[in-house]
Amino acid sequence: MLFDQAIDIPETLKGDAVSVTLMEERARYNLRIKSTDLTEFKKLTGLKLPRKINTSSAAKDVTCLCVGPDEWFVIAEAKSKAKLDKLLAKASNKFVCSVTDISHRNVGFEITGAKASRLINVGCPLDMAIEAFPVGKVTRTIFESAAILLRRTGEESFQIECWRSFGPYLRDFFVRASRDF
Amino acid sequence: MFEIHCPYCDEKRPEIEFAYAGEAHIVRPNAQDQGEMSDADWSQYMFIRDNVRGEHCERWWHQHGCNMFFNAVRHTVTDKFVMTYKMGKSRPTAKQIADAKK
Repeated sequence: MLFDQAIDIPETLKGDAVSVTLMEERARYNLRIKSTDLTEFKKLTGLKLPRKINTSSAAKDVTCLCVGPDEWFVIAEAKSKAKLDKLLAKASNKFVCSVTDISHRNVGFEITGAKASRLINVGCPLDMAIEAFPVGKVTRTIFESAAILLRRTGEESFQIECWRSFGPYLRDFFVRASRDF
Repeated sequence: MFEIHCPYCDEKRPEIEFAYAGEAHIVRPNAQDQGEMSDADWSQYMFIRDNVRGEHCERWWHQHGCNMFFNAVRHTVTDKFVMTYKMGKSRPTAKQIADAKK
């Protein structure tokens, strides 16, 4: 997957301490639904949306992220898109909710390595200690001047989602920032 | 980094994620009254604010976080947040504010 803008920066950044990879295409949805409907929603779709704010649940190839009291992101492998489209369309007929396909609005980065959290702290002031930001925690926040969705996938790995138009800016930023490590 | 406690996320978050959204607890006139309101009443509702020097109840928006609005009590001189609370809760009493300061 390529960005619209052609800039002279590699798609992947591989370093000893930190690596940044642009993620493959994904199926992404923004879902607004009342938290009281979650049990029924799970019965209908089989998707387990986490109840607690800023947490995520991963099952097989689908990850559900809770970013607000009534707002979730559903991110899945691109091959599950047709199936999820149908499931969520079915849900939108039954519940008072909003389902928005944002598969191509966002791009994702995977940041891995011993200094992954340090790279994030270059542009984001959140506490990245494992106690304060445990594996599976997710939040929307700001990285430098771009709004991002940040999720910790492992002790030394993170996933960052941002709007496609912010992609080249962030990638450029990661490359420049990682030169210091 | 200046931090603000978001009552929905229930944690302290950096100030850059938030946006100020004006004075809190200003009740919008209901639909029946709106037709009978004079211009003076409307201007009172639209434009007249307390401009408190001291503890001020105000709305904040966790724009780059959970995307929720909440209310906060902030000291307008020291810029110190005394407490934050969810939307729909009534204005905290003087005692509640004093307790929050402890």
